[in-house]
Amino acid sequence: MTYLKSRRFIGAAFTAITMLSITRTITGNGDLTSTVTIAQALVFASPIALAGLAGIWAERAGVINIGLEGMMILGTFGAGWAGWQWGVWAGVLAGVIFGAIGGLLLAVAAVTFGVDQIIAGTAINLLALGLTKFLAILLFTNAPGGGQAQSPPIKGEIPTFTVESIVEPLTSLHEKGIFFISDLAGILAGLFYNLSLLTIITFLLFVMTSYLLWKTAFGLRLRSAGENPWAADSLGVKVVQFKYAAVVFSGMLAGLGGAYLSIASTIYRNGNTAGRGYIGLATMIFGDWRPGGTAAGALMFGYIDTLRLIDTGNQNVKGLILLGAIILFAIGGIMLRRARRNSAVGFLILGSVMIGAYFSATSFPPEVAQVAPYITTLLVLATASQNLRPPAADGVPYRKGDHH
Amino acid sequence: MSQSALAVELKGIWKRFPGVIANSDINLKVTSGTVHAIVGENGAGKSTLMKILYGMQKADEGTISINGSDLVFNSPSDAIDSGIGMVHQHFMLADNFTVLENIVLGSEPKNGIRLDFAKARKQISDIAAENGLAVDPDVLVSELGVGDRQRIEILKVLYRGAKILILDEPTAVLVPHEVDELFNTLRDLKKEGLTVIFISHKLDEVLSIADEITVIRQGTTVGSVNPHTQNVSARDLAEMMVGNELPTPDAVGDTIQDEVVLKVENLSVFAKGGKAIVDDISFQIRAGEIVGIAGVEGNGQAEILDALMGIESASGRVQFKDEDITNKSTRHRRELGIGFIPEDRHRQALMLEAPLWENRMLGHQTKAPNAKGMWLTPRSAKADTKRIVEEYDVRTPNIDVLASALSGGNQQKLIVGREMSGEPKLLIAAHPTRGVDVGAQAAIWDHIRHARQSGLAVLLVSADLDELIGLSDNIKILLRGKFVADADPATVTPQELGTAMTGAGEAA
Repeated sequence: MTYLKSRRFIGAAFTAITMLSITRTITGNGDLTSTVTIAQALVFASPIALAGLAGIWAERAGVINIGLEGMMILGTFGAGWAGWQWGVWAGVLAGVIFGAIGGLLLAVAAVTFGVDQIIAGTAINLLALGLTKFLAILLFTNAPGGGQAQSPPIKGEIPTFTVESIVEPLTSLHEKGIFFISDLAGILAGLFYNLSLLTIITFLLFVMTSYLLWKTAFGLRLRSAGENPWAADSLGVKVVQFKYAAVVFSGMLAGLGGAYLSIASTIYRNGNTAGRGYIGLATMIFGDWRPGGTAAGALMFGYIDTLRLIDTGNQNVKGLILLGAIILFAIGGIMLRRARRNSAVGFLILGSVMIGAYFSATSFPPEVAQVAPYITTLLVLATASQNLRPPAADGVPYRKGDHH
Repeated sequence: MSQSALAVELKGIWKRFPGVIANSDINLKVTSGTVHAIVGENGAGKSTLMKILYGMQKADEGTISINGSDLVFNSPSDAIDSGIGMVHQHFMLADNFTVLENIVLGSEPKNGIRLDFAKARKQISDIAAENGLAVDPDVLVSELGVGDRQRIEILKVLYRGAKILILDEPTAVLVPHEVDELFNTLRDLKKEGLTVIFISHKLDEVLSIADEITVIRQGTTVGSVNPHTQNVSARDLAEMMVGNELPTPDAVGDTIQDEVVLKVENLSVFAKGGKAIVDDISFQIRAGEIVGIAGVEGNGQAEILDALMGIESASGRVQFKDEDITNKSTRHRRELGIGFIPEDRHRQALMLEAPLWENRMLGHQTKAPNAKGMWLTPRSAKADTKRIVEEYDVRTPNIDVLASALSGGNQQKLIVGREMSGEPKLLIAAHPTRGVDVGAQAAIWDHIRHARQSGLAVLLVSADLDELIGLSDNIKILLRGKFVADADPATVTPQELGTAMTGAGEAA
């Protein structure tokens, strides 16, 4: 099984790099796979990945966590406030704790009182938004360097690492512009350039989650609470405790994601999350409630975000459009082979429209790139949703002793 | 009787729920190493009693002693620790988990914090081999059928080292040859010294497997019999269960008329991928005729019924009397006088969170007594609901309670009463007496037989093969969406029918 899995992973990575490489060759835009781009993409991807991971923990235990956005907001605030007061690591800690409080709130509402989980989560989102705005005015308005909507700068920095001996040769290889090889070099170099300790922690949390949830008894019990809590209860699994643990830990991860955002922009700012909690949820669905796929989804979002922000001369958005077209054609091809003609035609037409746009227009508004991740998500969900396997009792209120 | 030790002894068990006494003064002695059956009507309190024994609910009064020592169970884990295991009526399995994961959940073999999959696999195949319960530990449960699932449930219990097994209506979901397999397993387990408590209301089965039988009526134990030493018949047991003499099933008179009420030609229903779930079937039903469909669940029954009601899109032609209704809406079909008792009453037949009288209107909301023109007429609907409650013996405090407050059997009686109201011409019924107890079952059969004498045509799907044989004029055997054979209810036995349903042998 592991052999199969690693083969699939290598296959997917190979395909992704090939597509990027084709796009880079056609557009002649080296930025698409450059060291800096990839390094920045990791920074953008990490908070989304943490939100997605948070979603996995809650939903594997059967609690839908729409409140991720709110818990992230609490995390950004905690990090901004404590980071300003006591330094960056205190900020990380406060972000995690604030997120955990949000998680606890959801657990009390959804697990103990059986409130509709979507409504409870939405309530947390609204509450977090209002509360942090209020507290920001209260705490930051008169602080030096602060304002009504933002905190003073966070003190100190998270250490970052650059492995020169890897980055330098690979970067120069990237600049040679060889098909595939140079792109692979750029991507690899990006992984070791300005790598934040928090990004490494994020990576480790993914590894830990894969192991804990799928290889241990603890994980089996936690997932049983999301698959069939009544069966779990009949075997003596303390379902409520597992749900609580999972949802609170989910809040901690989302809070960490929020802290990551504040630290990356060195201050707390109202609205800094900009819906990343929801995007995290989308990556989780994209990733079939599993860490590997969720990480891939987060990287995709982070990458697109990066290209939009470091766009010189409006070339990156154009590149993205072409990349999108190539992906659509690829999916269309697969659909054709699986004899799903109608969907195939849809994808091919959409792909052609994008190709047409690529060759006819000289520049695109940056907003196009802004909405690209969402459109991608919609497309992915539309095509992949038949094969997804969400936890069977996800979102179902559980009361001990009840039968379904 | 030998002087064997008692595995389980329950003394003076009481359990009250708001408004209901589920168990009153239950006394039960189960000898170690025997199969002990507990029989009783639906709602007699069997399941509550077993939940108490398994620690899922706490008794208000009374003592439980296991192997001679008094114990208090606060949760199933306590019961598991005392060597009690339960195979639930509705399987307690996680579909997205593998067989292995389902079996070890809650008592996993560990290696550090890691779940030791290799060890689990070995333990499971050892236990499986010892008891002749073949399973593949690495397949997903969602890919397995009911027989396999039940084996997994039994393995789950054995894996936990249970010495006392409780099986709650284990044969309800099985076809006859699977029942035989289960009974062989149970006899093997008994040989190994295990004690089996077997809950059922199928009396023939109970008589064939049990060493001792305890009867429960209205929440209390009314007596025990030993089928090896005492000469008891299924009828004696039934009378103990019901508390009075049973109605005798009437001899079936020929009531079939000439008029064809339902004519189905080349009906097919396709799944998303284009696979035929119902594959080109044709049949007809005349006035006064009952046509039964026998088949293992999931072979297309539900789809046939839904297609006939216009709920599921299908190809082919459906004719009701002289009218082609192939493309007509469900409402139109109902207004023509087609009654429908669906397979899943919670999904299709009831609004659980609505009062009984609103449920009375459901599906008949365009006709008297529920409506006049475009206006609903709640008053007459309520009056008619009272009639149904009386005629069909629906046990309810009044007609304003929510449907969810009724027991499954009483919900079913209400549905049958509703669908038989307003003189339907055709009744499409799936498991009309599922979950209904012996007395009420006979009453429902009488209602159907009576309506049939005045020309009602019935399409009957039932998992209860005795019901199917007893009511039908003609039985069609459905396998993978096709009618593979006909059976004559006058001569066929349930065993023959069961064999034909699984495609194992020739149709009778």
